[in-house]
Amino acid sequence: MKHQLFDTQIHIATGGRSFVNDGEALVLLHGSGQNHLTWVLQSRYFAYRGYQILAPDFPGHGLSNGTPLESIEDMADWVIALLDSLDVKTACLVGHSQGCLVAIDAAARYSDRVSRLGLIAGALTIPVNDQLLTMSDKALGKAISVMTSWGHGPMAHMHDNTQPGHSFLGYGNRLMASNHADALRNDLTACNNYNGGKAAAAKITQPALCILAASDRMTPVKFGNAMADSLVNSERVIMDGAGHMLPAERPAEVNDALRRFLAS
Amino acid sequence: MTGDYKFDTLSLHAGHVPDERHGSRAVPIHQTTSYVFQNTEHAAALYNQELGGHLYTRISNPTVAVLEQRIAALEGGVAATATASGMAALSTALLVLCSQGDHIVSSSRMYGANINLLENTLTRFGITTSFIDPSDLARIEKAIQPNTKLIFGEVIGNPGLDIMDVEAVGKIAAKAGIPLMLDCTFNTPWLLKPFELGANLIIHSLTKWIGGHGVAIGGAVVDGGNFDWGQNDKFPTIAGPHYAMDGINFYEEFGPAAFTAKFRAEGMYNFGPSLSPTNAFHILQGMETLPLRMQRHMDNTAKMLEFLCAHDAVAWVRHPNLADHPGHELAKRMMPRGAGSIIVFGLKGGRDAGRIFIESVELASHLANVGDAKTLVIHPASTTHSHISAEAMIEGGLSDDMIRLSVGLEDFDDIKADFEMGFRAAAKFAKTKD
Repeated sequence: MKHQLFDTQIHIATGGRSFVNDGEALVLLHGSGQNHLTWVLQSRYFAYRGYQILAPDFPGHGLSNGTPLESIEDMADWVIALLDSLDVKTACLVGHSQGCLVAIDAAARYSDRVSRLGLIAGALTIPVNDQLLTMSDKALGKAISVMTSWGHGPMAHMHDNTQPGHSFLGYGNRLMASNHADALRNDLTACNNYNGGKAAAAKITQPALCILAASDRMTPVKFGNAMADSLVNSERVIMDGAGHMLPAERPAEVNDALRRFLAS
Repeated sequence: MTGDYKFDTLSLHAGHVPDERHGSRAVPIHQTTSYVFQNTEHAAALYNQELGGHLYTRISNPTVAVLEQRIAALEGGVAATATASGMAALSTALLVLCSQGDHIVSSSRMYGANINLLENTLTRFGITTSFIDPSDLARIEKAIQPNTKLIFGEVIGNPGLDIMDVEAVGKIAAKAGIPLMLDCTFNTPWLLKPFELGANLIIHSLTKWIGGHGVAIGGAVVDGGNFDWGQNDKFPTIAGPHYAMDGINFYEEFGPAAFTAKFRAEGMYNFGPSLSPTNAFHILQGMETLPLRMQRHMDNTAKMLEFLCAHDAVAWVRHPNLADHPGHELAKRMMPRGAGSIIVFGLKGGRDAGRIFIESVELASHLANVGDAKTLVIHPASTTHSHISAEAMIEGGLSDDMIRLSVGLEDFDDIKADFEMGFRAAAKFAKTKD
């Protein structure tokens, strides 16, 4: 759906069903240089199981207008402002990669608004090497290609997809290329600059599910484990053989794990 | 894996990882119509495109999906959908894109069935086409109307071997906000990857070089994922509510793969142009050796061109790798590995000499296919293009004496000897006639 937030028209995927505010939403937060299409196999799935889905494109991403937000804290504030604008009282925030940093920061600072956390392929810090940062500024196509390649696990590199006929790498490249030209550089810089994850995690008491990928080369599983260890009320699932793009690579397993968590 | 697999590796492996239970190294043939659902919720989720998976082989099939994923990987697309033939891929793609009252700008120099579909069949459903010389960029641009939904052509025209400037036509299409769809049967992704030059959708007859063995008919449409279906109001059934699945908006829900989602949900559901799993398996066997075969096709084509150009019996030879071909420089730039293994030529004795030649060769097979591992010959004017009008034949660059040769993989000395025999028979006939 189209929505106006801070004078900017943004796009929010609602899983093919109209958003009906019942006080609690399931909010899906995409990662660096991604957009709502990260959640193509989650948004529709959960919308048709009674959840009120909000999978927004952050400004400058996907079908949202505006310029990309510059810090993780700004993104967390923006998510809460989005909930305010829709009169949503509380939300379960599910983040992927950078989306985990945003979810953690929001959960710590707005504890009364965030009921639960789903943290997929995440960590408390996501440092980005200088080469990739430079590439995202000077050679965007190459940066997208490198991230798409590194972001996918071995099955995805063999184009073995649960969606018949689809190529993970082809889709991943095109998805990232559809964003605002500054989106990836902004996102990577925001991740690199964010150092509040540890302090934020220490404040979080809400239930959290960490879904981690054993073959993740973007946020290696040891950092995901550290994130899970620092959350007092967390559980974790580690998926063998999967890469960073878990929502696409292992949709059925991710959905099952989230569904069990949300029902518990 | 520290980088993306290369073409030769993808030709062998893409789309398939041996399953844990059986470990079958070869792609299994899932010869089934249907799939047992885990429960009613799972069934509903598959019908509603909430999850990937298979529900009925008319829509998708695990063996066919491996083939689709392999083609998508080789072309660098976001997705591919396989069909029962190349014509099934083309006709379904056009019906997924166009509605009554829509218009297509198409190359005039194409395979006879492609022209027939556009000129005679789709017009009955209110979809009209302007046929334009693919080298005339100004006329292509001028032919675009407000109701034009795509530009269509063949990279290497069949059988005239005209070359389309993919990059230039892609820019014209992009400026007009419409996709460029190309029939890439003759070039295969080994010779050219058109998405890199701005094409948006690719049609393949898999029966030809990609299969290469002549045992299975198949086709595919590959989605480049590089066309913005929401940039204008030309595609309301992709970027607007569609009757299927609660008014789904394919563009918003599937982004770069919106066309494929609609092709699967409407094209495969309603028209049912499905490829059989066994044919998919056969075509996969061919794909494994595509790079090796293409190299050999190109090597033998170069030798054949040299042989034909120097032969006294030959009146003319046309191939984009020859300097006198109007698309020579363009072909060299777009396809540095070679411009395909089809050669057209005429004999000094005209149509009759060609007939005797075709009937006299023994190693080369006289049949209606191209891209086989074996060398093939045919007379297009009386066969593959006989159903198009005399005007379309002239417009398409077909002459009455034209022989279409699909250069195979045999030892070139043997093909040469076979052709010498054919030329001698043609000469003997001409002498008798005199």
